[in-house]
Amino acid sequence: MLLLACAINLHGQSMIDGTSFLNRTAFKIGYYGDIQFEHGLNLGAEYLWKEKLKVKEKRKRAKTITHQFLINGSIGYATNFSNKTDNGLHTYYGLIWRRTNPKRWQFNLEVNPLGYYRSFLPETFEVKEDKVSKVKLPGRSYYAPSIGVGIGRQRTGKRRSGWYLNLNYTLRTPYNAGVLGGYSIQYGHRFNFKKK
Amino acid sequence: MQKIIKSKLQIVAILVLVLSMNSCTKENLDINELNETIFVRHKKADMPAYIHGNASDKVFLIILHGGPGGNGLWYRLNTIRTDIEKNNAVVYFDQRGHNNAQGNYSEKEVSVAIMAEDIVALAKVIKKKYGEDSKVFLMGHSWGGTLGTATLLKNQEEFSGWIDVAGVHDPKGLYQENKISLTAIANEQIVLENSVAHWRSVLNLVQNSSPLNTFEDSGKLNGAAHEGEGILEEDKVINEAIADYGDDVPSDDFSKVSWNSNKINNILVKDQGLFQQVSFTERLSEITLPSIVLWGKYDLVVPAAIAQEAFDNLGSNDKELFMFQKSAHNPMLHEPQLFSDKVIAFINRHK
Repeated sequence: MLLLACAINLHGQSMIDGTSFLNRTAFKIGYYGDIQFEHGLNLGAEYLWKEKLKVKEKRKRAKTITHQFLINGSIGYATNFSNKTDNGLHTYYGLIWRRTNPKRWQFNLEVNPLGYYRSFLPETFEVKEDKVSKVKLPGRSYYAPSIGVGIGRQRTGKRRSGWYLNLNYTLRTPYNAGVLGGYSIQYGHRFNFKKK
Repeated sequence: MQKIIKSKLQIVAILVLVLSMNSCTKENLDINELNETIFVRHKKADMPAYIHGNASDKVFLIILHGGPGGNGLWYRLNTIRTDIEKNNAVVYFDQRGHNNAQGNYSEKEVSVAIMAEDIVALAKVIKKKYGEDSKVFLMGHSWGGTLGTATLLKNQEEFSGWIDVAGVHDPKGLYQENKISLTAIANEQIVLENSVAHWRSVLNLVQNSSPLNTFEDSGKLNGAAHEGEGILEEDKVINEAIADYGDDVPSDDFSKVSWNSNKINNILVKDQGLFQQVSFTERLSEITLPSIVLWGKYDLVVPAAIAQEAFDNLGSNDKELFMFQKSAHNPMLHEPQLFSDKVIAFINRHK
């Protein structure tokens, strides 16, 4: 619902500046996990909010460096595959700053202050006083903001518009009387549906 | 373009389905060879119980891990896995704040008393799931012995027997016992000319440690005790420690495990002064369940003198003390066959 609301809102903004939502948006799909213990899938969208082109005049030709601010939304699911103790859905929203050099290599920093993690647990029994009852849809919800740093490469004029490799650090809170931090890797591809 | 989006969404849906299915494939609900994970929700914590083995007789052994900061599945090794699981089902439990346990509670909602209630809750859940006629045995190792003692002092009705493996029923008194046992073993090993330089440094550490039981010095003695057991193993005074997990080496997120471990250890040991404040020695006589006390003769971490104290003070009419002659703090690693023989015999006698 949040993703949908975000998309509708962004679509509204893009109408104001005269560029269509799809022309300013890249969709992404990729691996999400820590490679060793937890593995999952992530889907997301990046909406181009601001863009600045910096042209450097060189002897042979001008070189253009692009700086972008993108609004980021993502949703995914990951599991530890073994004993079902770490299955969870995560979704987060924030801002990406991205620099693309003339050779299309990209560097980005990501801040996602709005994040949510919902764990899904196997069969769970709740004990209150002497009463034992089975819990429906067992699991817990956590506020889960994140930051990330990553690289990638752009493919110009293609549907599959590039790849990315990010290292993210996510907090889950309140978690066991504290704040749990964890690293994850994201590797995937971006797609666009620009009208040609 | 709608077609492209539709096809992509289909691929994603299939992948999510495959991920979900794979996460369920290892469960085994055969009562003779259980392999399942359930969670116990109690006082804002969700704690996993990994249940393995033969539950055909409805006999369950709950193992309380050491620490604070340990991990339930670390104990699924050697003959616990190969022998005890064949005799009865074994419940490996991640205690509140440990390993894969999660929840949403304040530091005030972490205490030995609440954690003991968690264990009673676990026993109730096992009976609810597998039948009220189930027999539940409790085994506590090291810190698990503190927690097991606290559990039985709250409720003994849920349990059929108590297996105390190098358990700390008197955390407050451990500091002085560590001093005495480190000094005795150091002197013994110097006479035998084993690692003389090391044991002289241990004597020096003990002599320079505070007469008062402080958090810092009790930590130093605990470190010296663990190191000393390593030296005893090198000098072949005790058997080599074996840790054979078979094909099921615990594979949990290391960063999460270590964060949980540090956090719970800080709350219980540093903030609440577990080793300065807590002692159950005076109340051991209230425990009247059949009990067996299992200890390594060369245990420096929880010295063997504490075993005798536990045995002498337990209120049970049916109690036994057994010392493993070639073991230190972890007899299940040093003398695994003898360890499982003792545990199985005790369970079968009282089930």
